[in-house]
This record gives sequence, structure tokens and C-alpha cells, in this order.
Amino acid sequence: MSVRRFFFRKRSDEDLRREIEEHIELERYLNLERGLNEKEASRHALIKFGSRQRVREDIWRMNSVTFFEKLLRDLSYAVRTLVRSPGFTILAVITLALGIGANTAIFTVINGVLLRPLPYSNPSEIVHLEQTATRVGPDRIGFSVQEVQDYRQQSRSFSDLAEYHTMTFTLLGAKVPERVVTGVVSANYFNVLGVKPVLGRLINQSDETMSAPPVLMLSYAYWVKEFGADPKILGRPFTMNDRVHIVVGVLPPLPEFPDANDVYMPTTSCPFRSSQGMIANRDARVLTVLGRLKPGVTLTEVQADLNTIGNRLALSYPKSYPPAAGLAMKITPLQQELTHTARSTLLMLLGAAGLVLLLACANLANLALSRQLRRSRETAIRLAAGATTWDIFRQLMVESITVALAGGVLGLGIAMATVRVLVAYAARMTPLATDIHLDGHVLLFGFAIALITGVLFGSIPGFIASRSRLSLLAGSGERTAGSEGGTRTRAILVATQVAFSFVLLVGAGLMMRSLYNLLSVDPGFKTAEVLSMNLPLNWTRYSDLKTQNTFFQQILGRAQQIPGAQSIALSSMVPLNGTGEGMNEGIAIEGRAVVPGEPLPQVDRQLSTPDYFRVLGIPMLSGRTFTEADTTDSVKVTIVNAQMAQHYWPHLDPIGRRISTDEGKTWTTVVGVVSSVHQYGISQDFKDVAYFPQAQVTFMGDPSLLIRTRNEPTQLANQVSTIIHQIDPQQPVTDIRTLDQLRNAQLGTPRVTSILLGTFAGVALFITIVGVTGTLGLSVTRRTKEIGIRIALGATRREILLNVLRHGMAPVATGIVGGAIAAALSTSVLSSMLFGVNPHDGVTPVAIAILLIIVALIGCLIPGRRAVRIDPMKALRSE
Amino acid sequence: MARSKKTSDSEMLQGTLDMLVLKTLVMGPAHGHTIAHIIEQASEEFLQVEQGSLYPALHRLEDRGWLSSFWGASENNRKAKFYKLTAAGRRQLTQETSRWRQIVRAIGLVIGEDEA
Repeated sequence: MSVRRFFFRKRSDEDLRREIEEHIELERYLNLERGLNEKEASRHALIKFGSRQRVREDIWRMNSVTFFEKLLRDLSYAVRTLVRSPGFTILAVITLALGIGANTAIFTVINGVLLRPLPYSNPSEIVHLEQTATRVGPDRIGFSVQEVQDYRQQSRSFSDLAEYHTMTFTLLGAKVPERVVTGVVSANYFNVLGVKPVLGRLINQSDETMSAPPVLMLSYAYWVKEFGADPKILGRPFTMNDRVHIVVGVLPPLPEFPDANDVYMPTTSCPFRSSQGMIANRDARVLTVLGRLKPGVTLTEVQADLNTIGNRLALSYPKSYPPAAGLAMKITPLQQELTHTARSTLLMLLGAAGLVLLLACANLANLALSRQLRRSRETAIRLAAGATTWDIFRQLMVESITVALAGGVLGLGIAMATVRVLVAYAARMTPLATDIHLDGHVLLFGFAIALITGVLFGSIPGFIASRSRLSLLAGSGERTAGSEGGTRTRAILVATQVAFSFVLLVGAGLMMRSLYNLLSVDPGFKTAEVLSMNLPLNWTRYSDLKTQNTFFQQILGRAQQIPGAQSIALSSMVPLNGTGEGMNEGIAIEGRAVVPGEPLPQVDRQLSTPDYFRVLGIPMLSGRTFTEADTTDSVKVTIVNAQMAQHYWPHLDPIGRRISTDEGKTWTTVVGVVSSVHQYGISQDFKDVAYFPQAQVTFMGDPSLLIRTRNEPTQLANQVSTIIHQIDPQQPVTDIRTLDQLRNAQLGTPRVTSILLGTFAGVALFITIVGVTGTLGLSVTRRTKEIGIRIALGATRREILLNVLRHGMAPVATGIVGGAIAAALSTSVLSSMLFGVNPHDGVTPVAIAILLIIVALIGCLIPGRRAVRIDPMKALRSE
Repeated sequence: MARSKKTSDSEMLQGTLDMLVLKTLVMGPAHGHTIAHIIEQASEEFLQVEQGSLYPALHRLEDRGWLSSFWGASENNRKAKFYKLTAAGRRQLTQETSRWRQIVRAIGLVIGEDEA
């Protein structure tokens, strides 16, 4: 028997019929030859052949597979019954489509970010090394050139160590002068990652010498974006930092890790990295280090290895490793390094989406159960006619799986439509978001959950139906509203639903409160109507304070003339721009002895021009702001923030006190105190900050221009850029954004997380209340006669109402208790995502419980009202 | 696959019928009626092919790949389904024929008939 024949049974039967006809015709013909008359010839031919029907039936059976056949019959029956009750079908399909869609969309992100292997060879061998000053703070500190050399030479756990840092340089030779993000890497960097170029070659050992001609590798994205994936790019020269660099290769598409670099160059090409001061300074810790473990080496072994080297270094260079700093080494597997922020959020969201789907399943099971009970006579008849319980169960299962698969197909569509939004969301948490797309795994996942859903919501009614009793046939219509067993099953379903949605609501409640806390943080400065832009300095051109000052004065002077510009300032950082850390520096405070071995007090150092505090609206608490009179010729001054003043001069007036940034060689006088601001991020604590006038200190980073405007800040952007280009045509202007945009970007992730979780919780609440109301409504219908008798015997409406409400609220109460326990056990997964809220805080669950009770009560009042309106006469007669 | 059990009698007959059908087709393709007719004539009308089992047999043989079929014109120029022996069918025929001969010989020995 071939499967082909199974599906073409109709056709082959038709063939057979013709074949038999032909046979008989031939026989008849033969009979005619034998001398029989027409009639006899036909008769004998037919007699000789026997039953044509039997032959056909025999062969039909030979072509059948019983299981398939029954399944097909179930399927066509399922489709017919579903089409006949379009209300149920549409509701079920849409509910499931939403649930499956949400799950699949989030799984798509998880698949791209957490499950797909990194595009490096043996990614599990690659680790990220970091140092932290455990006694100073949790912030990571990079490595210095000296340290990289020491660890590379002394460590035995790594097959190789690679160093990396990122710079922004101007690249000349493309269409316009371009500001390119440049990864500065050791020659072995791409070998450590295990990456092959798509074009040309990798940076190699011979490129990493001071005498070698400078080379560049392009990132895949930059090559495509800027050069249209032109293969002739190899060998093309570009000028960077006044030297000609030749393109030697193009990288494959890679995650934007550690940064979204446009080009890569060897360490020897970077003027900053190859300067003698940088190479010799053990304390200039700015490098990122990646290592490839030798095969079979465990993380514990590496850690021990690194600790040994660390101790050795501390002994050899006590000044660079003061015990009070508590410098320690830490290793993180690359996969974890790339996903640690995203992981918990994504898994939490998948969990929430999964709960919503389970709730939807419970509701549909409930719905299908009522449907099934209405059909229990039909079931009983089928059983009486010889169907086995398995036949009944299977048929209901096929029905629910059909619905679920339809929902799954629709859900995949929803997932495809929403995944783009989620990619943007995930991109804020992980560099792997660029690789998110629907693939076979996602389809498989969608299909699998659709199937599981179908089984879940089909099995309960299926089970109940398959236990139907033949006695139902004899029973009256009253029973069809549901048996006692069905009611109990439903109550359990409702309690479970309440418990699940309680957990979701508590989670969403916590996230909302956290978001509210974030929104209500006063950053300490006014974000409205401030435009910011970055001016990456050409260091060869503006290398000293004098050229810098002239350049800056020109910019400030001319920009001030723009109508609509209120005040304008340059600063070493833009608040809230998300780059995180400021320039941290050890200072000496006059009057405090420096304890040898103790680290110097650490404060953040920020440069600014006089109007900085005015532009941002940061209040001066005492003293004066910087003025035009603070120049290289006048006394060196600083302004500290309130936090620093409180920290180092508690109960004293800091004005007139002096600090030193060079261990006491020169001193700077405090002339003012400003209020503390959340400049590193609204969820970050205040830090000790010392501000220095730009005119007195050489800039070492890229200055940012900040402009307070009279109206919409973005309108001024072009004018300001034009002015800067008039002053220096080669000066790039980047990152033009308003402070409001920066602030919103900071809130983006918690906002989307809250919205997603809130939506899930809202849907869950709705589904649950529908379940509560529906179940109670059914129970009232079933008890119509009983309630009628009670009323007839003198029960008051109040008593009836209370009785019904008690029935409805009992599973709700059980569910809340269960949910409270589950919430207490599970909300700690949110702890890393919360700001200013304790995950175990008691207010949220109590509030949620009250909310649930109120909403459920309202839901129960609908069937309750129906119960008290039952007319006892009608109820008793309606038998 | 559930199929009604047959008696051992008819099963042996069934096997025999398969062999006879295959044998008939050695001469060339034929349709059902011709096959039945040839068998009957060749056995001097001793064997009567039951049509009720001929067609299921043809169907089965085709499924096993011993026969192939095509639609062609019959003697009186009507469309008829022709069956043709495949290579596998030919091998099967050889096997079955020799097996049949062995059985006949063995049974002959047992019931004590002289070999001709």
C-alpha cells in the first residue's frame, strides 16, 4: 500500500470502476461470439464477474490506513463543527494568536541573542578580562599596556590574549571627511576571536610595528554602508591622523562588540596608544582585554592563574597596586559579557508571555468544556453507536489542535510584525540584537507551542467528554449545563488563572512603580530646550591649551550671536549621554595628609566653560561660577558639587580651600559649590565631582557643545554646524541631540519593559475576569431550578446574591493566596530591573490583591444579578 | 492494517493466483479480462478465475512492484487498463515457479504418486 494511493483513493477507485466495466464489456462481447443473444450475454458476463461492489470495497480497504483515515475524518468533522460555531472559533483563534504571537516574538529575540552561537570560532573559549578596584567601587577598570604585556607573558591558561580600545578619528579620502569609530587592536585580536576576513587579510604581526606602513580593516557594515560593498576597496589609501593608511581587509558581519567600530587599526597606528607616556604608564588603565582559553582549561583554573600573576605584580609594583584599592581580576565568558543585561529581562518577558498563554489556555479549556457539556448528548449517542472513549478524546483533541494551529499561523504573523520593534528594544541591552530574525528554530518554537496549547486546552474537555455516561441519553436537558465534576474542574481552572495573573500583575506593578520612580527623579538640571553636540578634536591640530582656547572662543563667540541661542557652553561631557563613566581622578586635599599605600580620594573631573551651569540650570549653592577672568594667567580655580563638599568638608565652608590633581605640586582653589546632579544616568547615584575651567586645563577628550535655546532646540543645529565649519572646515560635528532626547533614551528600556509587562498583565487580568464571570454564569444557569426553589421557600434576594457571590469569589480567593505565595517566590527575578522599589515590597501585592478582588466582584455581580432575578415560577416550570 | 483473516485454503490459492497472473504476463502486457481468459483456456477451463480475487490480486502485485500498469486500447478499441510484468515480477515468477514445483514434488512423494 503506498501513501500516494491513500491520498488518491478516489481516483484509483474510479479507475477500477472503469476497468471492471471494461472487463464485463469484453466478457459480454465474448459471450456474443459464443452465440448468446444480447440479453443473455450481458447477464452471463455480470454473473461471472460477481459483486463489483465487493471488489471495489476490498481494494479501497487495501488502500486505507485506519489511523490516517480516522484522523482525516476527525479533522473534517472538527473543521465542520468549528465553522458551525464561528463565535467560539474566532475568539479561540484570536486569543491563541495573540498569546502565541507574543511568545514567538520574544522567543525570536531570545533565539537571536541568547541561543544562537556567537559568530566566532569556539566562542565558549573566549573570555573577557576585567579589573575592579574592589574597595573603591564596582566599576570596571581597564588594563594598562604594561599589564597586558605582563599577563600575556606570565599566564599559562590562555592560548592568547588580545587587547582592544576604541577611538574616534577623522578619516580623509572618502566622499567627505568622516568621523570613524576606530577599534585599536593588537595584531592577534581577530585570531583570538577566531574571525576570517570576507575580503583581503587580517591585521598581522608585521603590521604591528612602528616602522610598518599603517593598515586598516573595515567592518562589514561600514564597507557596505560607505563603499557599497565595493571589492576594489582593498589597497585604497585613507588619511588618518596625518598618516596614509591602506585598507588590507574587510571583516565579516560581527556583533557590535565591544563597540560599533567602523574600522580597525593595529595598536601602533593609534597616536594615543603608541605614545611613550601611554606605553610606559602602568596606571593608564584604558584597554579592554579578551583572551582565548587553552582547550580544557576551566574558569577556576584561569582565575587562580590570574590571581597568582596579580599578586606577583602587586609585589613588584606596590605603587600601582595599593592594597587599599583592592585591585582584583575577574573573567567573564564572552557570551555572558554580551548578554548579561538582556538575559534576565528577556527571560522574564518570555515567562510573562508564557503565563498569559497559559491563562488563555485555561479560558479556552473552560470555554471548550462548556461547549463539550452542551454536546454531551451527542457524545453519548456516539458512544452508544460504538465509538470508543479514545475516539471521543481524539476527536476533541483534533478539534482543539486545529484551532491552536490556526492561532499559531496567525501568531507567527503577529510575531513577524512586532519583532522589528523588539529588536530596537533589545539593541539597548545587547550588541547581538542586530542578528535577530525569524528562522527555522523560531518556526519550530511557534509550531511547538501551538501544538502544546492545543493539547493543553483540548485535554480537559476531552477527558471529561470521554467519561460521558450513556445514562445521559435518558437524562433531561437540565444536566447539559454541566456536571458536578465539570464545575469542580472549572473552579480549579479559575483559581489557577487568578494565581497566574496575580503574579503577573505584581510584576507589572513593581515595574510600573520603578518606572514612576525613574520618571520622577529630578536630574538636578533642566533638560528642556538644551541642544548638545559632540566636537571630536583633531589632536594634531589642537594639541595645546592655546590653540584649543582660540578655537573654543571663536565657536562660543559666534554661536552666541545666533538668534534663539540663550546661553552656550563647552564641556568635557554631555549629561545623560549614556557613555557612563567620567574621568576619574585621584586628588589631594589641602590639610589632609596623604597616607602612603592608601589610594587618593577619587573624584570625577569635568572641564567646562563659564556658562555651563547657566545652560544646564544647575543652581550655584555658594561662591561664584567660572568667569572670563579665569585664564591661564590667573590663579587656578575649581568648583565642586555639593556631594563632594559634604564628603570632604562636612560642616565647613569649602570656598577658599585647595585641592591638587598632581599630588601637591600645584594647587587649585575652590571658588564655588554647585548642587549635585545625576549626570551619568537618572538611576545613578550622585558622585563627587570637581569642575575645572576649560581655559585653564588642556582638553584630553572630545568637547561637547551645549546650547540653551529660546524655542525648539533642534532648529538651531544646522546654524551651529555651519558656524563650526566656517571656523574649521575639517571639524566634524556629531551626536546632535537634545537633552530631552537623551533623557528619554535613558528611560527607553525600563519604559518598554514596563509597557510590555503591563500589557501582558492587563491581558491576563481581562482573561481571568472573563473566566471568573463565565464560570459563575454557567453555575447560575445550572442552579436555576435550585435557586428558584430557594426563592420560593423564602430566601431573600440578599441571601441569594451572597450565596452566588460566595460561589464566584471562593476560587478567586484561593487563587490570590496561591498567587501571593508564587509572587513572593518569583519577583526577585525583577530585582536587577527595579529602581527604588524592593522586589519583596509588601504594598504592591496588597494593592494588586485589592484590585483583583474588586474587579472579580464586579465580574461576579453580572451572573449574581441574573440569579436574584430568577422567577421561581418559571424556573420550576421550565423542566 | 486490519484485514479480515482468510482461510488457509484461499491463501494458498491466492499465492497460486499471483503466480498464474505473473506467468500469463510473460507473453506480454494484457488487461484483466485477457489474463483471466488465458488462465482459464490454458488450464483447459479447469481453473475458473474468481473475478472477486483477480482484481485485488492485480492491485496487490502492482503495489509490490511486480506489475506496472498503463491505459491502452483493448481488442475492440476501447480504453482498458493493461498490466505489464516488471523485472522484479519476472524474478518473483521464477522464484514462485520453482517453489511451486518443489511443493508439488514433495506432496507427490508423500502421497506416493509415481513421478511421471
